[in-house]
Amino acid sequence: MEGGIRAWEGFVAEGIPEAGMAYFSPATRAEEMIALAWLLEDGSCRFYESLAKMMEDQETKGLFQNLKRSEENHKTTLWKVYEEISGKTSTPEFPDTVISKEPRGDVMEGGMLVSDALKWSEGKTPEDILQLSMSLETNSYDLYLKMERKVEGRNAKQVFKALSEEEKNHLERLTYLFNKRL
Amino acid sequence: MSILDYFKPVSTWPAEKIREFLNQKSPGEYNLVDVRQPKEYEQGHLPGAQLIPVGELPNRLGELDPTKPTIVY
Repeated sequence: MEGGIRAWEGFVAEGIPEAGMAYFSPATRAEEMIALAWLLEDGSCRFYESLAKMMEDQETKGLFQNLKRSEENHKTTLWKVYEEISGKTSTPEFPDTVISKEPRGDVMEGGMLVSDALKWSEGKTPEDILQLSMSLETNSYDLYLKMERKVEGRNAKQVFKALSEEEKNHLERLTYLFNKRL
Repeated sequence: MSILDYFKPVSTWPAEKIREFLNQKSPGEYNLVDVRQPKEYEQGHLPGAQLIPVGELPNRLGELDPTKPTIVY
């Protein structure tokens, strides 16, 4: 439902931006899926890094710093899997040769632009921002579940499975803090 | 392909359309799911909505009837 409960109650929706876009799985090659995941993780890293700087509350700041580090680790994992699948030991071209870089660095989970999400976050409460992050992690979890089902190769499947579990854990941690602050 | 080519818009219904749909149907004809947190649900929810917080969705999908339309908010 557009605008969520506030729209239902007759208010102008001022909640989190709708996750208006969804991954629709046109990627068929493992390399393509890995490159896409890497680019989205890269965007999420930038988002969490900026949020951590924006937050005054130490617990929320700490969580965003932690999530940023975790997404960095995901990028490393994805890069290693790409090297394994492509059979190359040096891959400085990754991911540019697999997916067009435009608008690289400004897209994160759900096809949302990092710059738009940060602009929206300015002046919002930590609860609003935690809620937006929860929707991003939900998208991320969904993306890796889809990729796990689609990718061929046992190792790549295991990697996507592990990543989906970690994104689920991120969602749980964000939910915990959100509930604590309600 | 550009990174944005991997995403497509998700279609959503405005609140008025949902209201009209719920008025025309009986509760047994659809799944109405509130994916927010329990405290938010307690503060107010759509009539008859079933609470399944987003983090619990993967494990509780079996509670929804896949043959019926599902409305989520």
